[in-house]
Parts: sequence; structure tokens; C-alpha cells
Amino acid sequence: MAHYDYVEKAVNVSRREFLGMVGVAGAILWTGAYAATDLVQDRNKYIKMRAQGIYKDDVKAKVRQSHHNPGLKDMYQKFAGQPLSPLAEELFHTRYIDRTRLG
Amino acid sequence: MSHPEQGLRVLKHSLRSRLFHWGLILGFMPAAITGFILWLKLGSDDFVNLAMKIHIVGAVIFTVSSLLYVIVAFDRVIAFVRLIWTWDDRDIGWMLTGGGYPQKMLLGKEIDVPPMDKLNSGQKIFGICVSIGGLLLIVTGWILYSFIPLAPKAFIHGADLVHMAFGVFLGLFMFVHIFLGLYNWSEFKAMFGDGTQLLSEVEHHNPLYAANKLERATHPDADEPIGVPSCKVE
Amino acid sequence: MKGFQANEQTNIIEINRKKCKGCDSCKSFCPSAAIQGKYGAIHSINSEQCIFCGQCLINCPFGSIEDTVDAVESVIAKLRNQQLTVVATIAPSVRVAIGEEFGMKPGTLATEQLYGALKQAGFKIFDTNFAADHTIMEEGSELIAKIRHYLLGEPAEHELGALPQFTSCCPGWVRYVELYAPEILPHLSSAKSPMMMAGALAKTYGATDIWHVRPENMVVVGVMPCTSKKFEASRPEFSSAAHYWQQRGGTAHYPDVDVVLTTRDLARLFKKLNIDLNQVEPFTDADNPLAQYSGAGTIFGNTGGVMEAALRTAYFVITGQELPFLEYTPVRGLKGLKEAEVTLKDAKTGKVINLKVAVVHGIKENLKPVIEQVAAGRSPYHFIEVMNCPGGCVNGGGQPINPMGTSWTGNWKALLPWT
Repeated sequence: MAHYDYVEKAVNVSRREFLGMVGVAGAILWTGAYAATDLVQDRNKYIKMRAQGIYKDDVKAKVRQSHHNPGLKDMYQKFAGQPLSPLAEELFHTRYIDRTRLG
Repeated sequence: MSHPEQGLRVLKHSLRSRLFHWGLILGFMPAAITGFILWLKLGSDDFVNLAMKIHIVGAVIFTVSSLLYVIVAFDRVIAFVRLIWTWDDRDIGWMLTGGGYPQKMLLGKEIDVPPMDKLNSGQKIFGICVSIGGLLLIVTGWILYSFIPLAPKAFIHGADLVHMAFGVFLGLFMFVHIFLGLYNWSEFKAMFGDGTQLLSEVEHHNPLYAANKLERATHPDADEPIGVPSCKVE
Repeated sequence: MKGFQANEQTNIIEINRKKCKGCDSCKSFCPSAAIQGKYGAIHSINSEQCIFCGQCLINCPFGSIEDTVDAVESVIAKLRNQQLTVVATIAPSVRVAIGEEFGMKPGTLATEQLYGALKQAGFKIFDTNFAADHTIMEEGSELIAKIRHYLLGEPAEHELGALPQFTSCCPGWVRYVELYAPEILPHLSSAKSPMMMAGALAKTYGATDIWHVRPENMVVVGVMPCTSKKFEASRPEFSSAAHYWQQRGGTAHYPDVDVVLTTRDLARLFKKLNIDLNQVEPFTDADNPLAQYSGAGTIFGNTGGVMEAALRTAYFVITGQELPFLEYTPVRGLKGLKEAEVTLKDAKTGKVINLKVAVVHGIKENLKPVIEQVAAGRSPYHFIEVMNCPGGCVNGGGQPINPMGTSWTGNWKALLPWT
């Protein structure tokens, strides 16, 4: 057991000081947690904003269905004939590779 | 514990404070050392990964002991906070002479310095740095551990910058602290022993403390039990 | 390198060893477990496993992941070469994101400024949205042919793949299937992606009917929100235009799409040429048929967009009537797996078809059960759209990096260590 002759006088914490400390700590924790939750919740906001931009482009488009695209209809008429025509198959379709078999 | 030195003794570090100090040794010190390994990516994948694991275990010990200390030794935290933020002319004088340490260490001569409280001005600066820095390290560290894919990239990047800056700073501070602790051997013995120091030494290093903050011990042979703060809330 | 064809781009996304902190963020976004390196240690990417989606890149908090294929200088050189006709094909998602590199808010629709900037830089324009409409015609016709054959029992006029049909616009998804689920390859639509259709069409129809130039003097630049498009353009099978001209006496070899720039790359190109999107003179290119597009073409950039566009046309082709509700909300939004059912009454036979569709985005989190069902032959769907990136192409790996966001759309408890 320790032997000593002097100790530090007890530290007096007034109720006011105690509540103040708790209040400040609580406020910091609360705003911190609030800000963090906010940041976490808004993490996909930029994706949604870009998606809205795209949907806006859809709404303001003169034609809204692919089969009404005048330039495309023109192209099929002058060039490829119709979807899945032999020329369309040659130019606009492809096939895939099983890459697990490639050395 | 018996002491070969004769004279009256002061309980400078209570049992709670000494246990907290052990918490820092077992928590902060491994975290700091592994932190440097992680920063500089020293060694193999497995070694750095092991360092990360130790870093996290150290962080848990550091965080838990800090929280426990605030709870069971709230009076000591208050006393510490009050002390480190109390500055006057004497501190300026002390800082200007470097506390007399440069003269003592380099020239071997002792000069008079302004009287100090329980912590000298250098220790107060150290205290400000470790209390704020330690809190920031704990907060940013746990953010980096658990929020990475969730929180905005800029926020994580900022947390990492703070963690790195304070980590390096406090990591280097730790080595200075170890050196000064060993240099002031009686302090070292007090912290790692029973927490007591000779009154004559306390009067030499901490005259204001000795004069204003000490009282006769009523139970001279007993350390105070854990968990009962000696502060009175009025 | 295993799993690559000759001359394919084998390395696009790389981790800068000097900047990597070993935080594992990249691993939590990687759909194909291509990232090596333990927690805390420096990470690296195994290109053989990588599908080049770039999600790790746009989500790295420390900016330590880089796109190693930088074609900006070479494109500028080609723009300066008077012999060449440089055609930019710009994907839907580029127009709502490139503004961010010039200080605009995310989602700012900057089509006309983008056209103006491209014109100022010397590009001809072939809007990928036109090619998206084109994709709907080809891919939708393929789906309708399958429905007629498999569901209505009509004889097949073409060689048909299996139902359910998967979309094939996303090069990361295509590479994912080729690497990790080759058994479901017959389910992929045979239609090329819009960018590859644009390349093939630009150097055939575009060369003869629109720009009146020789195809070998054309440079088609894909401007994409996507790093995996750099890989797709390098696939050797995508030289259909050269093949087309070889059958008609041509001798030159060239790919359909010569270069791919990401949205970030294009912004850098503009900045190098001192073009500011905020100040540029807007341009609509109204006389260019290849810059015409429908609303269905533009929504390809969003998750669910290909599905929505396909439904608008498939409904019309099968029922003979326009879809009464153009904005089809069940396939919109950031839910990982979106399902919907549309009832179609065949105009020819009067039979009723319940078309079941599904939309998946974020391969990492949401794909597995869907392809397991397909592989086991018990998928309830007829048409499944898959986009690798969470949110679709608008959040692609080539898009401007938003510092205040991440691609993590999942549950936020999922990553806490105690769950």
C-alpha cells in the first residue's frame, strides 16, 4: 500500500459547470451525428440529379418513342431496310465469346 | 511500497490516472507505432495487414480507456482541462526560458524559472495537444473504419487528412514524452509506481501546486478506490 | 494475359501505389472481385478479372485509382488533321454530367452547349441517342421475334437466342457474362451497344449519305460515361464497317470506333482547347439526321431507361397502339432490382401476353439471384435489363467525380463490422 502524507484537494465541479460540459458535449455529438447522417443520406443525390436531367430531356423531346425518330426511319428506308434485315444483322448485331475458354 | 528516500510524500497520480496511463500504453502506443507502419506501408502485405489489425485493437483499448477515464475520473478531467487552459505571465516567462531545461541539459547550470502548478507550461501545451488531438484521432479513426463506402469521398478524405496530421504529430509527441519521462526519473517512478513523489521534489517542480492545491491526507496508507470520484458537485 | 482476344485493351483501370491507403473502398464497389491487397496494404487490380467499369475509380476517397488510357492528345492531333473527318458520338449521360467539370450543378442538361463545344473543337456529331433509338429497333425487334416464336408459337424467321433476353448495351456487363457466367451467353441480345452501332453506321451510311467522305478518312470518337467502353471499342469483332466495304471492293482495315473518350476526358480536351462550356455558342445541329433523337433514346442513360424505351416501342409493335403511359415509373429509381409486368394484346392474333420484365443495376449487389434463376431455367422474366453501375450510365466510371457522393445505394448497416 502506498504511503503518502499529502493529497490534492478535491476538485469542486459546480452544477452549472457540469451541466455546461454535458450540454456542450451533447450539442457537439448531436450536430456531428446529424451532419454525418445527412451526408450519408445524400450520398446518391448526384445520381438522382443526373437521372432527373435525363428525364427532363425525355419530356422536352419532340418525339418520345424510338420508332418515331425521323432520322432513324430515314436511315432504315435509305440504307438498312428494316430491323433484323441481313444488312442490319451484319452491321448492327454481334456475337459473344466464352472468355473462360480463351488462353 | 517502501521508499529509501526520507521525507513527506505527495500522492501525485491517483490509481485511476495511473490505470488510464496504462490504457494509453497498451492502446495508444501500439496504435501510434503501427500507424507509422500503415502510413509508410513498411513491409509485406501480410505485415501491413497485421499492423492494421493491431492498430484497430489498439484503437479499441485507447477509446475504451479514454471513455472510462472520463466517466470514473470526471473530477480529474475537469482539473486537467481547467489547468491546461489557465495561462498567465508566469507561463510566458517559463516559455521564454524553456523552463530552464536547455540550460540544464546543454550547459549543466540551473537557473531560476517562474513557479509552476501541477503542470508546467510545456506540459500544458502538451496537454492541449493530446486532449484535442486524441479526441480527433478517435473520431476520425472510427469514421475511417466504418463509414468508407457510405460517406462522401471528400468527407473521408478530410477525415484521413486530420487523422494523418494529428497521428504523425502525436506519434512524435509520444516519443518526446517518453524521453522527458525518463529524464525526470522521479516522475517516471511515480507514474509507474504508487503515484507518490517526495514533497521536496514537488515543491521544487510544482511550487504553486504544493502551495495551493495540497492538503494533509486523512487516510495516509490507503489509495482511493476506483469508481468513486472525489469531486463534490455543489 | 488470359481471357483476352488479340489486340484487345488489357489494362484500363490502375491503382496508383503511391496514393493507395489500403482502405478497401474499391473492394466494396468492385463487381468482379478483381482487386487484390489486404486491408491496410497497397491494393492492385487484376486486369484478367476486371470488367473495367471504373466504379472503384469514381469511388476512391483518395483519388488513387486512375484511367490509364489517355487519348486526349491524339484526338486533338486528329482534329487538326484536315484530311480526317472526326465524328463524336456522345452518349446520353454525357450531356447531364459534363457541366459538372465546368462548375454546373449535377444533372444540368447541357446538350446544346455540348454540341456547340464539339463544333468549336472541330467534331462532327453523331448523337449516340440516335444509335440508342436504333438499338431499340434492333433489340426490340429481336425480343418481339422471340415473343412471337416462344410465347405465341409462330415459326421463327431468324436464328433466335433464348428467353429471357438480357440487354447488351453495357460493356462491363457483357464482359462480366463472358468471364463469369458464360452459360447464359445465349440469353444476351445479339444487338450491339449503341456506341458500336453508331460506329458501324457512321462509317457506312454516315460516310456515304451524311458527310460524303471515305470511311478510311473518318475517325469515330466515342464520348462515353464509361471506362469499359474503351475496352469494348478494342474488341476485334467490331470492324463491321471495314468488313462491309471490303465486300464492296475496299481494302482498308479500321475499327468501327477508333477512340473512346470518357466524359472526364472530353472535359479535359475542351479545357486544353480553351473551350468553356459556359461561354460556348449553343448549337442544335438541326439539319443533321444523325443528331435527331427521341426521348426514348435519351433515357438509356438511367437505370431502367433501356427497358422503358423498349416497352414504348414493343407495346406499339405488338398491340398496334401507343403505350398509354409513356413515363413508366416501376422501372425508375434506385431500387436494386425492379420488376414490372405489362399486359399486351397482340393485334394480329388477339392473344394476350403478360410481359414480365426486370431491371438490375449495380452488378455487385443485385445481380446474383437473377442470373442464377436464368441459368437454372426458372426465371420468371422475359426481358431483363442489366447495367453494371449503380444508377446506370449517369453514374458510370467515366463520369465526373462527385466529391460529395458515393455509388453506395445499399443498406448502410451492411458494412458495419458487427453486422
